[in-house]
Amino acid sequence: MSDAILEINHLSKSFGTHEVLTDIDFTVRPGDVTSIIGASGSGKSTLLRCVNLLETPSSGEILYHGTDVARRGFDATAYRAKVGMVFQSFNLFNNMTVLKNCMIGQMIVGKKSKEEAEANALKYLEKVGMTPYINARPRQLSGGQKQRVAIARALAMDPEVLLFDEPTSALDPEMVGEVLNVMRALADEGMTMLVVTHEMAFARDVSNHVVFMANGVICEQGDPKEVFVNPQKEETKDFLARFLNG
Amino acid sequence: MGIFFARCSQLGADIVTMWARYGSQYLGGMWSTLKLAVLGTAIGCLIGFLCGILSTIPCAPQDNPVKRFFLKLIRVIIRVYVEVFRGTPMILQAVFIFYGLPYFSGNVFHWGNVFVASLVVVSINTGAYMAESVRGGFLSIDPGQTEGAKAIGMNHVQTMTHVIIPQAFRVLLPQIGNNLIINIKDTSVMFIIGYGELFSIHRAAVGASYLYFPSAAIEMVAYLCMTLASSIILRWLEHKMDGDDNYELVAADQLVGAAGTYTSPKSGSPYDEQSKEFKRKKGGEQA
Repeated sequence: MSDAILEINHLSKSFGTHEVLTDIDFTVRPGDVTSIIGASGSGKSTLLRCVNLLETPSSGEILYHGTDVARRGFDATAYRAKVGMVFQSFNLFNNMTVLKNCMIGQMIVGKKSKEEAEANALKYLEKVGMTPYINARPRQLSGGQKQRVAIARALAMDPEVLLFDEPTSALDPEMVGEVLNVMRALADEGMTMLVVTHEMAFARDVSNHVVFMANGVICEQGDPKEVFVNPQKEETKDFLARFLNG
Repeated sequence: MGIFFARCSQLGADIVTMWARYGSQYLGGMWSTLKLAVLGTAIGCLIGFLCGILSTIPCAPQDNPVKRFFLKLIRVIIRVYVEVFRGTPMILQAVFIFYGLPYFSGNVFHWGNVFVASLVVVSINTGAYMAESVRGGFLSIDPGQTEGAKAIGMNHVQTMTHVIIPQAFRVLLPQIGNNLIINIKDTSVMFIIGYGELFSIHRAAVGASYLYFPSAAIEMVAYLCMTLASSIILRWLEHKMDGDDNYELVAADQLVGAAGTYTSPKSGSPYDEQSKEFKRKKGGEQA
């Protein structure tokens, strides 16, 4: 088990007295593309935010190469630099151009020189097809373009794992494709990804591990072919029937 | 009606007389006022931003008790500072600070320079107002910006200096302008500790010439010139900070489908040769 990048053990999270996540266990190994699916309110996003320590877990542990990052007093900044995050609402820095958005983290956190950061940023912006817009500001871009920049910004930090929090949910239908294509290309290159999504086709075809959540617990997880073709639990069957036939 | 015009021409003549006699003093007063207001506003803004950063340091229940105690203490101190200096008149603050130093030190310490004492008063006063404005400015920035910065590994100070403050500064610029204009006018209370700003020139000139109304008219125009100039400069600065609406496109975006380019294999686009619509149009033209 020591080859795992992330190992989540008995993770629980409560907001006040309301328990959102209960006893979550799963493992992310290098090259894994894990999709977390489930109905709205089942705790998918909270789980992802806990993994990046944007929410503090109430109990349980998150082992990053064997080190518990969820323990009290752990310095989250260095860990977060190695675990990239792409948000539903993009969260690009509004006061910077596209290029600067992808450079700032490398320079401030990664302590890279300006030239090095710029070359690296341009490399990843080209990968997501945003080279034409390096001088634009976030407010001048469409949703799909913003999300591609956000992916480039996360990639530019050379993360070991990339977390996606419903990356296409805030997009107009015609822009979903351009973002999913970029994500699929990343998966093909062997990027380790943890994706919360409502795109069932992506979960089924691109990922190699699917986690189905319902009411704050992991209801079923495993190989996407198993889960999609032959779901074991009633909740999973209901959920998939609604999504795949609806 | 006749009396009004007579008064106007009398006033005009008196203003010319006053300006001829005290013109350089008035200009000197304007310079002293501007110097104090601009520097005081700038230092006040620094104090405000510092208070804003200190009072927004996240304080989570799982942090260690010493850190939490200091964060609480800092917040209480800032709170007291804001309430005291926002809640008392600047003219009294000037008196307390200027005469307080020799009073409480048993005449050992004195303010050597009236300008420095005035600057301290104006800065502290502006800082108290700005502290609250800055806190409001930080709250107005989308929490997603902070999360985005945290997610790439920035700490609180880095997030503040690179992401939040530049955006909050733009939001706060009208408020900073407000404070500058208020300070240009309100520094007139510094005559109480003997600082030679524009209003104290008026008092001196009137004392010597007894031409009260003409001098007040000159002062009104002088203050208005300074505040209008500040307004114009601030507007220009806001415009400049917003940046250009256009940006340079380096090449075409390959991934995005331009509107209207979708073609269904069956019917084609409206201007396709296979399109029935196109054929119909063409046929119609021929017929």
